[in-house]
Amino acid sequence: MASVYEVPKTRINTSMLAQYINRPVCFVGRVQKVHPTGKSFTLLDGEGKPASVELSEPLDEELSGIVEVIGMVSNKATLMATTYSIYREDKGTLFDLEVYNEALKVVHDFPQYYPFELSASG
Amino acid sequence: MTMKLTEGAIEAFTKGTEVSNPLLQVVNIRRIEGGAGPARFRLMMSDGLYTMSSFMLSTQLNPMAEQNLLAPNCICLLKKNVTNTLKDGRRVVIILDVEVVKSAEEVGGKIGDPTPYVEGQTKPQPSAPTPAVQPLQPRSGHEANTNRGPSRDFGKKSLPAPTPSTPGGSSKVVPIASLNPYQSKWTIRARVTNKSSIRTWSNSRGDGKLFSMEIVDETGEIRVTAFNQEVDKFFTLIEPGKVYYISKGSLKIANKQYTSLKNDYEMTLNGESTIIPCEDSQDVPMVQCDFVSIADLESRDKDAIIDVIGVCKSVDEVSRITTKNNREVSKRTVNLMDMSGKVVTVTLWGEEAEKFDGSGQPILAIKGARLSDFGGRSLSALFSSTVMVNPDIPEAYKLRGWYDKEGHALDGQSVTEMKAGGGGGGNTNWKTLTDIKNEHLGHGEKADYFSCVATVVYLRKENCLYQACPTQDCNKKVVDQHNGMFRCEKCDREFPDFKYRLILSVNIADYGDNQWVTCFQESAESILHHKADSLGKLKESNETAFDEVFQQANFNTYNFRIRVKLETYNDESRIKATVMDLQPVDHKDYSRRLIASIRKLAAQ
Repeated sequence: MASVYEVPKTRINTSMLAQYINRPVCFVGRVQKVHPTGKSFTLLDGEGKPASVELSEPLDEELSGIVEVIGMVSNKATLMATTYSIYREDKGTLFDLEVYNEALKVVHDFPQYYPFELSASG
Repeated sequence: MTMKLTEGAIEAFTKGTEVSNPLLQVVNIRRIEGGAGPARFRLMMSDGLYTMSSFMLSTQLNPMAEQNLLAPNCICLLKKNVTNTLKDGRRVVIILDVEVVKSAEEVGGKIGDPTPYVEGQTKPQPSAPTPAVQPLQPRSGHEANTNRGPSRDFGKKSLPAPTPSTPGGSSKVVPIASLNPYQSKWTIRARVTNKSSIRTWSNSRGDGKLFSMEIVDETGEIRVTAFNQEVDKFFTLIEPGKVYYISKGSLKIANKQYTSLKNDYEMTLNGESTIIPCEDSQDVPMVQCDFVSIADLESRDKDAIIDVIGVCKSVDEVSRITTKNNREVSKRTVNLMDMSGKVVTVTLWGEEAEKFDGSGQPILAIKGARLSDFGGRSLSALFSSTVMVNPDIPEAYKLRGWYDKEGHALDGQSVTEMKAGGGGGGNTNWKTLTDIKNEHLGHGEKADYFSCVATVVYLRKENCLYQACPTQDCNKKVVDQHNGMFRCEKCDREFPDFKYRLILSVNIADYGDNQWVTCFQESAESILHHKADSLGKLKESNETAFDEVFQQANFNTYNFRIRVKLETYNDESRIKATVMDLQPVDHKDYSRRLIASIRKLAAQ
């Protein structure tokens, strides 16, 4: 299978996790807690629902604020992170997770206008 | 079918006794021009036996006379009237409510042979009807019953609604609607709806103080003003919301400049006036408001005085401004929305502005606000306005219910165009560039204003700078005299220098269209990120750097506030678009708006 970097990654929130098992996704959420082992953490989406993220390598930095995770959804509906990036909140406007979540729902409600997944089958 | 007039009514009126619902015939009607005030109509009425010429039509009934409904010979039923006694003992009957039972055409002529009533003189008793009256009365059985009573005792009849007694019992309580300058002895029972603070004046003729209040009863409202001694006497006594017996004020034609009340008269308290608190006040109405829907404001005339009620959607901070006559006042603008889904900006002044608390989105009712066409339609609370927060009236509860249920979700389109609308919340008229053509913006009599998010795609750097008069408020282009002097035609002066001003043509684009817009000084400086004078110097000294400024300005996105108007030059009409203001895009706000638009479109 191609690396997640090369295929389209659907943006989803927690409640959509179950529909995307074994598929590459992009998840943006606020860090709720980081497991003491540093190998997993929990993100809250724009609706305040938690999603667990598992890493193959322990974290080598502190994690807080808004984080975008790219990875596959496991059978247990958790995120197997391939990579993540922290949205810096120290400059400019703060990222508004709620508005992001609303936009995300629009994308899913009107797939005819947001055909981001089309190339996934190709 | 003929009608029997209420014989004996005229005699009763002349003697000052009350007559309930008499049926009278109009003998004559005369228009009396009332100087500054509206015309009044004086009627001569007949009861078949006597006539009396001192009937006055209250002004709200003027249309009946103007439309010739009340015309000589017509028979009418006096449903509500008050009798006033003049100082010389003559009596004037003010007609407050009247119904034309039979039109002048139907009646066709005078009933009976009435003569002017003179006290002491008696006609043959109507119990033995004279032939002069009779011929018009074929005795149908139906009529017979009602005709029985010429000997009715009018003197003992009282008005249908018992009037509350007056303390002191000097004069009877009359409705506000019946007050007029022709009467002197009266008492009204009314609720104070608005009380001003004490204002002082000082001019060449001396100084003094005054305060005014507005009072209502079930028939109407009137403004009352007290000066000097009366201020001392009554100011502390009066509490807004309470009911008082007020007697013996002077009445004069209302100066509509200072009052918005629906009354042709206003009252001034004088040395003889008395005000007594009334405890039993349940039946006296609170405020009388005639609320205008915000959506209807656009069809109202400028400077109209109207009543408005709305949910306070948002509030600005208090600001201090200096008026033309150098007085510093506080002002605060509030955005009100009502069930029409429209929003209007209301300006509160002075104390109202300072103490207003917009937290919790209260219901705000304003009685007597002035409608302005400043920026579309806006409202201003005046000195005479009554501002009520969460008033205890049915309209307020209805509005609150509506807002909590559905209104809060509405974006609310404003009838007021904000001047600095770039970052403004839901009060801006958002459009896309495609809408300019599709909606024919600017084709109306007035210019249209809208906001849009667009990107700069091209700037015309030729002729974007001009040399302007260096006088502070004069931006007129100067003529280079080529002798080191620059001449301003407007100021009629020559200067050794000039200032650079910008007038920049910019092409902006959004997803659907692009548009040439003109940016003047400030907006052009914002787009170019350079001040006009530094740009002017750059142009003179370093052409490459000057060009670079324009390159850098491309492809930036802004919230533009644009004015569009169709203008005609040499028989050619084209839309002229001017940038009023530009702001950086607030992405959160923009995203929310787009999402809301998508949802709204999907729901259609």
